[in-house]
Amino acid sequence: MVWQLATVRAVRQETPRVKTITLELPGWSPHRPGQHYDIRLTAPDGYQAQRSYSIASEPERVGEIDLTVEWIENGEVSSYLHDVVALDDRLEVRGPIGGYFVWTAEMGGPLLLVGGGSGVVPLMAMLRHRAAVGSSVPARLLYSSRTPEDVIYAAELERLSRQPGGVEVFHTLTRSQPPGWKGYARRIDRAMLAEVLQPLGMQAQAFICGPTLLVENVADHLVQLGLPPSNIRTERFGPTGGPS
Amino acid sequence: MEADLMESLTLDGNAVAGFLEEIFGAEMTASPSQCASCGYAGYLGTLLVYLHAPGVVLRCPQCKGIVLRIVKTPRAVYLDARGVECIRITLRG
Amino acid sequence: MSDSFFSRGFTGRRREPENAKRVPPGQYITPDFPVLSAGPTQHVPLDQWNFRIEGLVRQPVQWSWQEFNQLPSQTFTVDIHCVTKWSKLDTRWEGVSVDTLLENVEIDPQAGFVTAFSYGGYTTNLPLADLTGGRAFVAYNYAGQPLAPEHGGPARLVVPHLYFWKSAKWVTGLRLMDADRRGFWEALGYHDRGDPWKEERYQGD
Repeated sequence: MVWQLATVRAVRQETPRVKTITLELPGWSPHRPGQHYDIRLTAPDGYQAQRSYSIASEPERVGEIDLTVEWIENGEVSSYLHDVVALDDRLEVRGPIGGYFVWTAEMGGPLLLVGGGSGVVPLMAMLRHRAAVGSSVPARLLYSSRTPEDVIYAAELERLSRQPGGVEVFHTLTRSQPPGWKGYARRIDRAMLAEVLQPLGMQAQAFICGPTLLVENVADHLVQLGLPPSNIRTERFGPTGGPS
Repeated sequence: MEADLMESLTLDGNAVAGFLEEIFGAEMTASPSQCASCGYAGYLGTLLVYLHAPGVVLRCPQCKGIVLRIVKTPRAVYLDARGVECIRITLRG
Repeated sequence: MSDSFFSRGFTGRRREPENAKRVPPGQYITPDFPVLSAGPTQHVPLDQWNFRIEGLVRQPVQWSWQEFNQLPSQTFTVDIHCVTKWSKLDTRWEGVSVDTLLENVEIDPQAGFVTAFSYGGYTTNLPLADLTGGRAFVAYNYAGQPLAPEHGGPARLVVPHLYFWKSAKWVTGLRLMDADRRGFWEALGYHDRGDPWKEERYQGD
């Protein structure tokens, strides 16, 4: 597992606080959706800062990866990635890393994905992979955001959900909703999970990612609803929903 | 209800996946583990991680007991594995 | 990776030039107070809290929270240095000097070392000489407020002239000993003394 120099090929604003950076990797190798890369920044005086970012893109996209980064207040690395990084810049990265919180189509399903805030990023890699390989594994995403403007990948999720056999997407907006909103409008609770899980059944494989407290609450609820603990995989992102 | 600050900052084994791979030479988060204190069985990726301390501490999500402690200095790695029954390191095949 | 690579436009944390003399080698100044912990926050009810001095003393002594708060206290403004490279200047504390606490015991002349031990099981070892002469205290207020549990409250040891892992959070006592017994981090490679000005971070430094 070595550090390599990646080149920034694209930068895309997803929401006011979230950006996706496309990196071309000379030493790219296919990842498993759910894995992440580490980014290391080095100052001229040798000072270093390092953070992990989940891969947002599918492994079917050869040679490059998308990292979706939430801007964190006082975040050393996230503020650099948001405010300084430009096309053609080089970033030191290593990966892909991880092996527990991963899903590939051959693992089957049904699939229940639950994400809070930027926790949706690794789940998006799973969904993009699922679409790219034409998997027919039933899949549902329950995605919690604060406001409509905070929903990452909104248009793409809509498009994926309209494909035949596409993922069913359930949003919950916890702070404000657009006029005429018919979706969930509260924090994820047991009743909501019961509704979303019900058609998938107790064979469902659940992946939960986001702020630590959300992840723990959702995992508890799913166990109480009867999902076997061994069917549940979790990745905690700390208090705000961004990797530490 | 005010959430415990420390609780909301707690991460899991996924957050130290790269570090563990450096130390053990293999992907470790999907490695099974059993807590020597309470018998909890789960992948290393499910252990609670306390970071930003002088070293990495992995704790059992069930009893909060210490499962693994690792310190990496410029010269050496120190590992305290008394809290785990057994560590399984997958060999590259 | 080539030693000469650095990230365009990344400056990291700066060492303010006017404070340079107060910052030990390899450290960076931080305005925040990062929460570093090896485990879940300890929540100790005050009616169960106690602090004791034991080991190589003629008679061990113990204080309840009420008794501890009646001891003469002082305010201390000190710089603190964490081995993870952040330093914080002019931190303001209130607590009881370890000298004051040691006045209540008769120390065996063989006692050259101390293990500080805490609720939750944390321990750290240091020479007795580093706890005396006004250099250490048990603090219960920080920046004019009761010390928060995340930062080691109700009370923590503060030994500012050594790396901050020696300043045991949730401290519940001092054990005086004739031999140095490695504590939580020292057993895992950290230095027995930990002088930031000599960069004594690890064993053998």
